[in-house]
Amino acid sequence: MKDSGMIENARSVDRAATFILVAGISFILLPLVIAAITATQPYETFIEAGGLSFALGGHFLDNMEKILSETKLLRQLGNSLAIATIVAIMKVGFCFLAAYALVFFEGKFRRALFAVMIATVMLPLDLRVITTYQIVANVAMPLNWILDATGANWAIEKVAGFRPYFRLSLLDTYFGTAAPIAANCTAVFIFRQFFLTLPKDLPRAAIMDGAGPIRFMIDIVLPLSKTPIVATLLFFFVGAWTNYLWPLVAASTPDQQTAVVGLARIADSDIDEIPQVPLLMAGALFVSFIPVAMIAVMQRQIVRGLNLSSR
Amino acid sequence: MLALIVMFFYIPVFLAFFWSFFLERPFGGGSEFVGFQNFRRVLSDQEFWRAMWRTLLFMVLAPGTAIGVSLVLALAADRGIRLSQPARNIIIWPKAIAGASIGLVFVFIFNPRLGLFAPLNDLFPGLWNPRIDGTDAYLTLLFAQVWNGIPFNFIILLSGLQTIPDSLTKAAAMDGAGPWRRIIDIQIPLLTPQLFLTFVLEFVGSVVEAFGLIDTMTEGGPGGATTLLVYKIYVDGFKAYDLSGAATQTALLMTAVAIMVALQFRLEKRVKYER
Repeated sequence: MKDSGMIENARSVDRAATFILVAGISFILLPLVIAAITATQPYETFIEAGGLSFALGGHFLDNMEKILSETKLLRQLGNSLAIATIVAIMKVGFCFLAAYALVFFEGKFRRALFAVMIATVMLPLDLRVITTYQIVANVAMPLNWILDATGANWAIEKVAGFRPYFRLSLLDTYFGTAAPIAANCTAVFIFRQFFLTLPKDLPRAAIMDGAGPIRFMIDIVLPLSKTPIVATLLFFFVGAWTNYLWPLVAASTPDQQTAVVGLARIADSDIDEIPQVPLLMAGALFVSFIPVAMIAVMQRQIVRGLNLSSR
Repeated sequence: MLALIVMFFYIPVFLAFFWSFFLERPFGGGSEFVGFQNFRRVLSDQEFWRAMWRTLLFMVLAPGTAIGVSLVLALAADRGIRLSQPARNIIIWPKAIAGASIGLVFVFIFNPRLGLFAPLNDLFPGLWNPRIDGTDAYLTLLFAQVWNGIPFNFIILLSGLQTIPDSLTKAAAMDGAGPWRRIIDIQIPLLTPQLFLTFVLEFVGSVVEAFGLIDTMTEGGPGGATTLLVYKIYVDGFKAYDLSGAATQTALLMTAVAIMVALQFRLEKRVKYER
């Protein structure tokens, strides 16, 4: 709380600030409110009103029922849930361990490891989607290169009479969609920052008590890190949920697509006629509800855990 | 996990540069070394340069607007008034909504016949039509990107503002510095690290995050007016099966982004800040 009211008359400033915040909140809420109101209108009223209107329609449940029965969004919601969970756990688990190693151990490769991870923050997945797709379409590709380059393939061809070519596609699988999103080390910096704030004597005391590095991690560092772990888990869950370009190419069958992709595909299908706008708006709320609720409920914990102020 | 990072980060990055020197046939039809021919082809393509300029313009306008608006909101919320708490909660919501989902809502809101501006179009026919007018389409895209970009910047800037010691603000007020003066001479200078962070994140973010919006709102149209580079790469690679061209553009875009981020970090080292 900044309260300079004792020194100066802050009332007019506060009034201006209130006005700004009202404008900001309205700006953020307006599209959501329009979506919510339209989602309650039956298609016929929507057409009669000639489009956007602010009249509540009372057909929200009917529209939702249509979403559940006529689209695959429910199944796709399950896919999103699974993929986002896998991504969050992989990312946080790895980054926690990597940051632990970076902070508490002296090693020759520390600087190199740090450099290897910094690069993944600079070049997001959407930037390299073309070649990542090729790799996920055949994860055995590097193996084939190695066999080719070492001459092993040549030898096999001589002996067996055929040239081996391995092929394993991870497209249309949860893991294939999740792993490239998870191959990113942003959280290393968050955990590193957090570990550096822990008392320097902590590891020394643990060693004196005879605790090894794994014991120290599980019994001391892990419980202390609850706040950043929860925050990063939620943050990456939401991030993976809202991802679009990669899940769009990584899964081609509706049964494997995420909810965000599935909704966009529904919108795609009827471009020329007047679209089923109320249904689409209901769908937009349907696919956004879970992550928005998470953020709204856990806002404080996320902001505190990501430790955004001290970077 | 390190293997996963090599597999799904380093190999794709390497592959983009590697393929940019080969003529890659779709469906695994073999490849052929062609030297700089792909680069020559891409760099002499008018469409590539148009998409590049549109991307650069977007990289200036979207982060600039989003961070500017967020800064004003954060300064207001930092005053600790009654609305501060709800604002902190609600303004972060868009972070949890996919661009591709809110894009559908914005398509509807900006629809020339069904949306918010439909009455205006009745009065002045042809005033607003993002389906025909490229500038209108670009503006809707920018608007949606700013909406989606505000929450994270707002939270970072607000967290930064709240670490500025109260005593500083009070001392300044005692010396007769009004709220404006304090914003310009104390709060914004002390906010440099956070402002820097938001610019780095928004710069990279605006290059790639626009994809979900473009794909659902304009599909790059009308007449390519909203085809940013990330969308062009997707169309070239996945619709036209021009793998070499797409890989070459990927390599160029990655280089541009890496150089820009590196420059920003150089800049940060120059700007020394102490608290």
